[in-house]
Amino acid sequence: MAVITTKGVEKVYNPDKIPVKALKGVDLEIEAGEFTAIVGPSGSGKTTLLNIIGGLDRPTAGYVEVGGEDISQMSDNALIDFRKEHIGFVFQAYNLIPVLTARENVEFVMLLQNRSKAERHARADELLKAVGLEDKVHKRPAELSGGQQQRVAVARALAPKPTFILADEPTANLDSESTANLLDIMARLNQEEGVTFVFSTHDQRVIDRARRVVTLVDGKVDEDLRR
Amino acid sequence: MIPIMAWRNVWRSPTRSWVVISAIALGIWAALSLTGFATGMMKSYVNSAIENSVGHLQIHAPGFTEEYDLQKQLPPASELSTQLETLPQLQAYSMRTVVSGMASSSQGARGVMVKGVEPEQEAAVSAIAEKLVEGEFFPEMRGNAVLIGQELAEKLNLKLRSKMVLTFQGLDREITAAAFRVVGIFDTGNTPFDGGTVFVEREDLNRLIIAQADTTTVQSDLVYEAALLLNDVNKVDTVAALLETALPGQEVKTYREVSPDLELYESQIQNVSMIYLVVILLALVFGIINTMLMAVLERIKELGMLMAIGMNKLRVFSMIVLETILLGIVATPIGLLLGYLTINYVRENGINMSAYSEGMASYGLSQIIYFDVEPGVYSQMAIGVFLTAILAAIYPALKAIRLKPVDALHSF
Repeated sequence: MAVITTKGVEKVYNPDKIPVKALKGVDLEIEAGEFTAIVGPSGSGKTTLLNIIGGLDRPTAGYVEVGGEDISQMSDNALIDFRKEHIGFVFQAYNLIPVLTARENVEFVMLLQNRSKAERHARADELLKAVGLEDKVHKRPAELSGGQQQRVAVARALAPKPTFILADEPTANLDSESTANLLDIMARLNQEEGVTFVFSTHDQRVIDRARRVVTLVDGKVDEDLRR
Repeated sequence: MIPIMAWRNVWRSPTRSWVVISAIALGIWAALSLTGFATGMMKSYVNSAIENSVGHLQIHAPGFTEEYDLQKQLPPASELSTQLETLPQLQAYSMRTVVSGMASSSQGARGVMVKGVEPEQEAAVSAIAEKLVEGEFFPEMRGNAVLIGQELAEKLNLKLRSKMVLTFQGLDREITAAAFRVVGIFDTGNTPFDGGTVFVEREDLNRLIIAQADTTTVQSDLVYEAALLLNDVNKVDTVAALLETALPGQEVKTYREVSPDLELYESQIQNVSMIYLVVILLALVFGIINTMLMAVLERIKELGMLMAIGMNKLRVFSMIVLETILLGIVATPIGLLLGYLTINYVRENGINMSAYSEGMASYGLSQIIYFDVEPGVYSQMAIGVFLTAILAAIYPALKAIRLKPVDALHSF
């Protein structure tokens, strides 16, 4: 079953001044449980596509369905709620909340979902254990290495049990060991728990581990490989 | 967790937060001190007026104070005293005969209010006896005695034991003049009062204003003004109402009504301190806006991330407002404490304004000002700062929620 469907998605920046067509009709279906890398050279539209799939931006034309709901016409407030319930984000620069501990960071989205304290605690501890950080629950981001921060970010993205996880160049700032470690964790979560991952990446190490690689060139799907 | 986040966000930049906290605390301190100074000055002015002769309440025959018409007499002093003495709130009273007249010496003449008093009664109501810089308060002597102010003494070149002439209308509307000997010179610090008021014994004054031919008026019963001192200044209005029913047809006035300048002064001082407060709070608004705007602008990426992962605009807005309020919550007790300590210290020790005393005295102010504030001012100040913080938070918070997560996330 497709969790993400894009149909004829186009995105034009600066439509009134000097229009830049970032996406020129992208049709894509991502099934539940896939481990998909979206690759392509700089300027190919990877980030734009990810923003649109993630409900952070709206397409100029076409539509995007996530879990059967059309998100392309939702209001800003509706999109915020939609993202909170359905999408987990992992950003290139980790983007944890610097004033919160690892556990509080993981709990944060659940707090926004009004889950009980006991439930938040239990789930945060379980996820931090799953990413191998059970001894760092009380550390703040500044006290963690880049790799550790990105693992906290993965745990945070998983916490609300989203429909899928979007990761924008998650390994771009990591060394080889941290990258391998992070990819192991994500692959395991994908295989054992069936979590759907969609990455944008330049990183060959990530591309090698992906089970589906969608290549974008000049705002269009150039190649779609399943392994 | 959002309050915890807000609290920790406040301390991300401790120096910046302390700067704005200090600014708020200093603002509160300054506003409290100014209010303390203004209230202290007002009370000093009001008290000096009350002490000098106004008292808390005055009773006159209706219309007497308009032209000091001697036909408008109070009921006989003996009756009035009996009635006044039944008042439990009464501390002391003074029966006076008041005429408007002219004081003259070989150097010149000045218009004065001549107050005929009974020394014992007057000493209990006003502080004139304590304000004598020379001479005595109506010593035993033959002939007419007068107490004059330092200012009048200088203008008319009078000294202790000098002779002067007081001229005024008698009961029969004929002009009467009599020689008085200066037995004391007072200095209340209130120049207009010292230059325009003289005290004589009521007995002497009554004798002089009752015409020779008049045999019906009992000298000791002739009274035009009763000045009352209460044991609590806050009861003036209650006692005034009581007296109005007890003495129908007489005019009972509180010190504010007797000296409308006091009421004007009280309200003006309050207005002025309110203006100071608003100016200080406005300055704080801009200081806080600046700080919070900086706090928002350097966190654009983080705020974008928070909105990306599902924090709605209302929560983001509340968080920024809360951070601002927290700054106020830390600053307010510090400012209030500083203000309280300052006011308490100056309430005890006073602040010496003698460098400006000449100017102040001409407005009837004493040289040493003791700070004073009404207890309600502290809570008003706290509420003022709270509202200021909310007002100052609005713009930065709006700025935060107007961010688009997709742009904010990719900003640097």
